[in-house]
Amino acid sequence: MMDAAARRAESRIDDADLAALAGDVAGDHAVERPTLYVYEAPVRIAHWVSAFAIFTLMVTGYLIGSPLPTVSGEAYDTFVMGYIRFTHFAAGQVLAVSFLARIVWAFFGNAHSRQIFYIPVWSKQFWYEVFYEAAWYAFLVAKPKRYVGHNPLAQVGMFTGFTLFVAFMIITGFALYSEGTGIDSWQHKLFGWVFSIWPNSQDVHTWHHLGMWALVTFVIVHVYAAIREDIMSRQSMISSIVSGERQFRD
Amino acid sequence: MGAATETFYSVIRRQGITRRSFHKFCSLTATSLGLGPLAASRIANALETKPRIPVIWMHGLECTCCSESFIRSAHPLVKDAVLSMISLDYDDTIMAAAGHQAEAILEETRAKYKGQYILAVEGNPPLNEGGMFCIDGGKPFVEKLKLMAEDAMAIIAWGACASWGCVQAAKPNPTQATPIDKVITNKPIIKVPGCPPIAEVMTGVITYILTFGKLPELDRQGRPKMFYSQRIHDKCYRRSHFDAGQFVEEWDDESARKGYCLYKMGCKGPTTYNACSTVRWNGGVSFPIQSGHGCIGCSEDGFWDKGSFYDRLTTIKQFGIEKNADQIGMVAAGAVGAAVVAHAAVTAVKRLATKREDATQDT
Amino acid sequence: MGIQTPNGFKLDNSGKRIVVDPVTRIEGHLRVEVNVDSDNVIRNAVSTGTMWRGIETILKGRDPRDAWAFTERICGVCTGTHALTSVRAVENALGIMIPDNANSIRNIMQLCLQVHDHLVHFYHLHALDWVDVVSALKADPKATSALAQSISSWPLSSPGYFKDLQIRLRKFVESGQLGPFKNGYWGHTAYKLPPEANLMAVAHYLEALDFQKEIVKIHTIYGGKNPHPNWLVGGVPCAINVDGTGAVGAINMERLNLVSSIIDRSLEFVQQVYLPDVAAIGSFYKDWLYGGGLSGKSVMSYGDIPENANDYSDKSLKLPRGVILNGNLNEVLPIDNGDPEQIQEFVVHSWYKYPDETRGLHPWDGVTEPNYQLGPNAKGTKTDIKAVDEGGKYSWIKAPRWRGNAVEVGPLARYIIGYAQNKPEFKEPTEKLLKTLGLPVTALFSTLGRTAARALECEWAAHELRYFQDKLVARIKAGDSSTANVDKWKPESWPKEAKGYGFTEAPRGALGHWIKIKDTKIDNYQCVVPTTWNGSPRDPKGNIGAFEASLMDTPMADPEKPLEILRTIHSFDPCLACSTHVMSPDGQEMAAVKVR
Repeated sequence: MMDAAARRAESRIDDADLAALAGDVAGDHAVERPTLYVYEAPVRIAHWVSAFAIFTLMVTGYLIGSPLPTVSGEAYDTFVMGYIRFTHFAAGQVLAVSFLARIVWAFFGNAHSRQIFYIPVWSKQFWYEVFYEAAWYAFLVAKPKRYVGHNPLAQVGMFTGFTLFVAFMIITGFALYSEGTGIDSWQHKLFGWVFSIWPNSQDVHTWHHLGMWALVTFVIVHVYAAIREDIMSRQSMISSIVSGERQFRD
Repeated sequence: MGAATETFYSVIRRQGITRRSFHKFCSLTATSLGLGPLAASRIANALETKPRIPVIWMHGLECTCCSESFIRSAHPLVKDAVLSMISLDYDDTIMAAAGHQAEAILEETRAKYKGQYILAVEGNPPLNEGGMFCIDGGKPFVEKLKLMAEDAMAIIAWGACASWGCVQAAKPNPTQATPIDKVITNKPIIKVPGCPPIAEVMTGVITYILTFGKLPELDRQGRPKMFYSQRIHDKCYRRSHFDAGQFVEEWDDESARKGYCLYKMGCKGPTTYNACSTVRWNGGVSFPIQSGHGCIGCSEDGFWDKGSFYDRLTTIKQFGIEKNADQIGMVAAGAVGAAVVAHAAVTAVKRLATKREDATQDT
Repeated sequence: MGIQTPNGFKLDNSGKRIVVDPVTRIEGHLRVEVNVDSDNVIRNAVSTGTMWRGIETILKGRDPRDAWAFTERICGVCTGTHALTSVRAVENALGIMIPDNANSIRNIMQLCLQVHDHLVHFYHLHALDWVDVVSALKADPKATSALAQSISSWPLSSPGYFKDLQIRLRKFVESGQLGPFKNGYWGHTAYKLPPEANLMAVAHYLEALDFQKEIVKIHTIYGGKNPHPNWLVGGVPCAINVDGTGAVGAINMERLNLVSSIIDRSLEFVQQVYLPDVAAIGSFYKDWLYGGGLSGKSVMSYGDIPENANDYSDKSLKLPRGVILNGNLNEVLPIDNGDPEQIQEFVVHSWYKYPDETRGLHPWDGVTEPNYQLGPNAKGTKTDIKAVDEGGKYSWIKAPRWRGNAVEVGPLARYIIGYAQNKPEFKEPTEKLLKTLGLPVTALFSTLGRTAARALECEWAAHELRYFQDKLVARIKAGDSSTANVDKWKPESWPKEAKGYGFTEAPRGALGHWIKIKDTKIDNYQCVVPTTWNGSPRDPKGNIGAFEASLMDTPMADPEKPLEILRTIHSFDPCLACSTHVMSPDGQEMAAVKVR
């Protein structure tokens, strides 16, 4: 197990390192830029699977809370709400599996694969850099630092906005699913404790619903930050989650 | 008719309960009371020789709907339950005695039937002002309740009041009405929630104890699994319309007349655990959804404080302002979206300015 | 020492004080204290209500469309009547008109409650004040059969039937476990029925227990369950679909038939069992005409059961509306529930605080600020009262007055007003019963009169059930199956501020709700219920309420066994959960106490 300082050292790269890594490119307008392999294939797959699952879950979840107008015809040959709910449950299972796989990968993958699962709350340096990044977003400092993985602020954002929120949604989601599968189901055995916190499952529905909106705001910030960083920061963003490679531009 | 002098023991033996499991019941009861093995045999002896189990039915803050529901039982008829199955020695609503003649019954039961009576509680104790918002025989109801609970063989919490708090515990709960499991903490309590519970569920729970000689299996929240393990939604006869996406959109519309799903009218069936859609009400005649009104969730914890009964989405009060999840979420997402746009705009302006600066510097 | 009250009673609290607490076989908790003179005649009576739930406070800030469900839970015995009053108040405030079918269905539900409540009250809450269960063991089944057959054609009346019952009763009594009959006042000299009448009454006690559950199925059909059926602002929730697609999911022919058959059986039971029993019991107690209290002086009824939807005028209401003061049957005064000068509540003897306690407040402007304190002459402590001081504050019930007058409400009040208005449907059955018993009209003003009026009204209500069910069917036949008006369902369609009131005649008497709506939420909600009128404490002028008045001058055979007190108090069918007002959220500093 690497200690925290070493891990940070790995994720933050000094200009000198880069220079050593990429050769001297200073003052040259050539397009060759230093690149690093950051996001391994399982990370990228998990990212896009989660993204599509979450999008599906949001749309279907919203429609479960506020269903479409009544359809005509006999009940036996329509299944609109049924399909919406089925899609929601299926996407939920996919998200859960992908989330679990992503956790497993954190044990095998590179250091970046672990970033979204913790915040080094004990490290002063980390918090200093969080505030430095925040200052960069607040236009208070002119130049951001350079990072291979998530910058510290992004790490905080990913940990709460993605890991915690999604874990909350998976847990409450399975608890709600267990209402249908019954109290003898494995879902109830694993997640029924949620109803000890909220004895009236209507509250669980409400928090699950609110969780969706929390994820919506996360997605807005996440996508915006990615695009902005892609343009403004000193490293690539959007292409990195496709190719896995991070390119440094200076 | 001959059942009047049958003992508890002979009733359960007739039901095919072995002597062994009968004694197991007795020793479990003794253990739950914190009594030794001697007490177990005393209980066994009592049940073998005493004709019917005494039931003490106490009333706290309530509206008597549970008692009213109980007397609606069609099977067994409440007449038979009261005359032949239990000995309803104390129940303020129907007992002949009043004043100190009534009070005397409680003392006598405690002395004579220690660990051998069932305590049924309708309503709940208020705790504000030392419990004096509900006073019974000169003492706070809560005190009397604890006293009678001390020596009871089993405790049944009738209805939403005793189980969860119900209407008087709705915000702001001025009397601090408290469910009984918060004041009787050392004993298992069978919660039979509902406002009121279904009559046949009430008599069903009591006769289960008498017939099988044991307490019913309870779920995580202390409710008998046999009646409360599934949602109304799971067994609702309108479920097919829910799955089909066929809803009542407005009262008395075409969909209402066709018996479509009441989900959009705020029906709480999907989150309410009760037997209404299967046992139904008043001898199986109907239940709320069948009669066109959504379920209001009356057997659920705090069902009064989840916003209007006609809203699909619960009102969330934690944020100081009453809004549902969609309203809060849309505002939050909107605010974040606006902040992002503003941030992007500032970024663009800054970037432009920097570029121009760079350009100026270059030339 | 004696005090003369303005409403004509002479109070003397110098004699021995007797306390009954708890008063059982009522809804809620009640305490009664009386003073008896050396002949054991009641010379002073004090009734104290103590039950605190806070529903009106809890209602503040909620959706007015939900109010029916909250107020319905005020009482599970008169279930539904508060809900009906509440939806009427909201509709009155917002100007919502309900369809005619909804009016019929609501009337059917209210009448169903009337029939059920009166029957259960008589047999299960009141009969044991007249009937000695243990004495029934001495009855001769053959003679019982003869008695039963002489007064009614009810088929369950053979000697064998009564013999079986007697055997079951004997086994029950001999088991030593008397259950609900334990510690009753069996053998009390105030019981006057011969053993045979007692046995017959016990049989009907059990039959009524079996039958009452059938009556409420009408609530189940139209409202989904009982107790606490569902209601709807703007109409009724049950849709009607007699012959279209999906009719099985609505009120259809089978449902209508079921209601119809229940109505028939209810009428039969009331006519062949309840009424003959009341007449028979009355014939043995016709010398015991105590308990009149206020009934011969001042009575009030709001009226109910509108013939025409949305028309709550005297003409439309089938139950009479009006007030009689000071025994003047020649004049029935009109009521306006919205007039601030008419209905007012006083608190000088109640545990509440007003800025000026000599004045009353109309419910729209009602203040409910608790103020728990005992009078100087109370015995015991604040948390352990031995005796209250009726000179000070002594009850959680406010004192409502109509133009300053204490009035009695309930079935007897309704019948007296109907009688005074010469309405044949009330006057004729009353006179017929009086004639059967050989009693004058003044005999109505008694405990027995209250009990008899309830029985007569039960029959009236059963007839009206039939009437409105037929009316409903006729309208459906004419092509109208509308049950709800949703024009003003959405809160966006409401005015910024609105106020209204709704009233009904609950089984126990006049019931009113007053509501103020602001920004689509409840701003203020007040209920003035029958037991508040009847069980009220004294007012600033010293007028005593109906409970207290009814106990005056009644002789007690044995003050240790207060059967006579129970008998008279029960004749009002008290509902204490209804009557006690609600405190404000800052009411934590107060304490309520009641003690034997």
